[in-house]
Amino acid sequence: MRRTVTRLFSLILLFSSAAAVEAQHGSIAEAPFSTPRDVAAGKQSFRSQCAACHGLDGSGGAVAPSLVSGTFKHGGSDEALFTVITKGVPGTAMTGFALDGREVWQLIAFLRSLNVARSAAKAPGDAAKGAQVYQANGCARCHTNGSGSGGFDGPDLSEIGARRTLAQIEQSIVDPDADVDAAYWSVRAEMKSGQTVNGIRMNEDMDSIQIREPGGRLRTLMKADLTRFEIVRTSPMPSFKDKISGADLQNLVAYLAGLGAAAREAENK
Amino acid sequence: MRTLLVSLILAGAAAAQNWTTYNGTAQSTHYSGLDQIKTSNVAGLELRWVSQADSLEKFEATPLVIDGVMYVTEPPNTAVALDTRTGRPYWRYERPVPPGNYVCCGNVNRGLAVQGDTIFMGTLDAYLVALDRATGRKKWETKVAEYSHGYSITVAPLVVKDKVILGPAGGERGISGFLAAYDTRTGKEVWKFHTIPQPGEPGHETWSGDSWKTGGGSTWVTGSYDPELNLVYWGIGNPGPDWNPAARPGDNLYTDSVVALDADTGKLKWHYQFTPHDEWDFDAVQVPVLVDLNWRGKQRKAMLWGNRNGFFYVLDRSSGEFLLGKPFVKQTWSKGLDDSGRPMKISGTSPSIAGTDLYPGVQGGTNWYAPSFSPRTGLFYLTAWENYHTSYYSWDQEYEPGKSFTGGSARGPIPSLRREPIIRWGPEWGYGVIRAINPLNGEKVWEYKMLDVSDAGILTTAGDLLFSGNREGYFFALDAKTGKELWKRYLGMQVADSPITYTVDGVQYVTVAAGHALFSFALGPGR
Repeated sequence: MRRTVTRLFSLILLFSSAAAVEAQHGSIAEAPFSTPRDVAAGKQSFRSQCAACHGLDGSGGAVAPSLVSGTFKHGGSDEALFTVITKGVPGTAMTGFALDGREVWQLIAFLRSLNVARSAAKAPGDAAKGAQVYQANGCARCHTNGSGSGGFDGPDLSEIGARRTLAQIEQSIVDPDADVDAAYWSVRAEMKSGQTVNGIRMNEDMDSIQIREPGGRLRTLMKADLTRFEIVRTSPMPSFKDKISGADLQNLVAYLAGLGAAAREAENK
Repeated sequence: MRTLLVSLILAGAAAAQNWTTYNGTAQSTHYSGLDQIKTSNVAGLELRWVSQADSLEKFEATPLVIDGVMYVTEPPNTAVALDTRTGRPYWRYERPVPPGNYVCCGNVNRGLAVQGDTIFMGTLDAYLVALDRATGRKKWETKVAEYSHGYSITVAPLVVKDKVILGPAGGERGISGFLAAYDTRTGKEVWKFHTIPQPGEPGHETWSGDSWKTGGGSTWVTGSYDPELNLVYWGIGNPGPDWNPAARPGDNLYTDSVVALDADTGKLKWHYQFTPHDEWDFDAVQVPVLVDLNWRGKQRKAMLWGNRNGFFYVLDRSSGEFLLGKPFVKQTWSKGLDDSGRPMKISGTSPSIAGTDLYPGVQGGTNWYAPSFSPRTGLFYLTAWENYHTSYYSWDQEYEPGKSFTGGSARGPIPSLRREPIIRWGPEWGYGVIRAINPLNGEKVWEYKMLDVSDAGILTTAGDLLFSGNREGYFFALDAKTGKELWKRYLGMQVADSPITYTVDGVQYVTVAAGHALFSFALGPGR
């Protein structure tokens, strides 16, 4: 008996929420503001409201996901995006924003224009040949590519194509110092004993620095034990400007842009 | 006896500076050979750091420490590497908990295993994940079971040679349990032991009809390994549905048993069932403590076991032979054990529609939290719930995949924390207690009484100290020989894990979790 009553109650809930969704459909079925001028206005709003967490180019930050992949964790429909922007995502740092309807739609139009997935398809290179370039240049010594092997010293590239534009990928190969994620900044320090220490900076507070030394040892340096230290914001990765160029570069970019395509498609379903 | 004690001490000393497995030593004794902190100076123990988890769910994890780095899980599904001198994090691995993921008793995890540069973690969504020790990045993951059918993983895995071993929780959701071994390099399954025997497997006849399909038999507390015998020992959870035994006539192997499995093949060498045809949810999910004893003139490779059913056991771990069984708390379900170690059930104790009052209550005389054995005192220590009872109710229930499947309920004394102590509703007040038991005769040597009960495990050390905590929020050190309280601090929230100890830069630390935070202590200056 108790079960029957519960079911009846759930059915009522189901019907009433379905009705609510239908009503929403009637009012906000499609993005009404999506002209180039709306995209430009959306970009302005994005810079003032969203970029602090999602990055100026929407490629994500320490607390917020990338918005350039064309897929969205909490739903990719216009309606879902509208809800996330206006209501936020409970349990995350994403709060709701008090924008008027037009501003929200312009933001959505801008987000649509960021879609990397579309630009990845436009990559001029040959991804299969790019995979050979990846192998020949030893990229796997420091990077993983989703194949189950590779090193952990550099960023995971398994889904890089879903997070970075073609231009960003190319820039990271020829000029790794141009944009270094803070998770890959280094520390160079000298101890009072005269010993020099260096490693990837993993964490820091007023008294200590946590680093990963070459070879993988985790170590905490107390600032009181140091005579000096500096945070190096350049990349430990060498530039491949002189080693990979022309068609090889285009092929490698195409290969990397394709990484994560499977995950992207799965998310889209 | 003496030579064996000495070898135990040496084994402890060799690995003393680190704490590399859930159970601390190869013998799963939760004993450390460290003695910088000892009975004469423990009063000078001071707080060094606190690390708070993002989640408000309580810690049940036992951390690992290797060369100054602590690896621990935070609720619900996070692994983290911390500096042991400052408590500052190096990396975090966070895995989302999918909607509809069910864990009976909190979104908890009991910890990690390590081999070389790889960390292993079981997840609430029933995956085994391998992480790079230096970066926390995922190397591989293997699906262990289907979480939407009520399976989850809360256990800390056990690494044996080139395999990582673990199994699911979900005994309250009609799972069909198992223990499985995976290749530490690839994550490929190497063997799988069905804790509920499938058709054609020995023991299947102890289930009637189709009852085996939803028979439970979870494996949610880490087992032990004897390298000489090459046997893995693991305690198996309750049969399902928990409180409706009429739905599953028979002994219901291997629920409420300890199984001894060949580490290479997963083949059963022997089993011992503590509670055949369990009617009260007496999971045998305790840590198998491996101790060598001079047993009535003969050297024995023994196993010590304080069971949820209220009895303390000594078994021969080579053969599974029953050597001793004696109640360590008040119990009203059994007249005792016969010569083979089979309990003699008292009639009228089955769960019923009107409710049947019974000792011990549903959380047992003890439970999953780790006991300890000190080779220096020769005593077995456990956390017990004394004079504790529950009303057990039973009714018919149909199985629905992924839904609760308990066939009744156990009502009474498990109110949430920060209320009255749980055992005060009976005619005679109960209490939580640390008990020291002489394994040679099962007799109590001393006890340390608390007001409320405790879900804290025990650590003993070569400094002749015993560390533990309780639901009242205290963390304390006792004299392991006498039970005398030597030091105590209020940490403000329930201790529900086992303390550990290790050294960094020559300093001995003791770490314990209370609530959703880790606390680390060391001796103050001049001690």
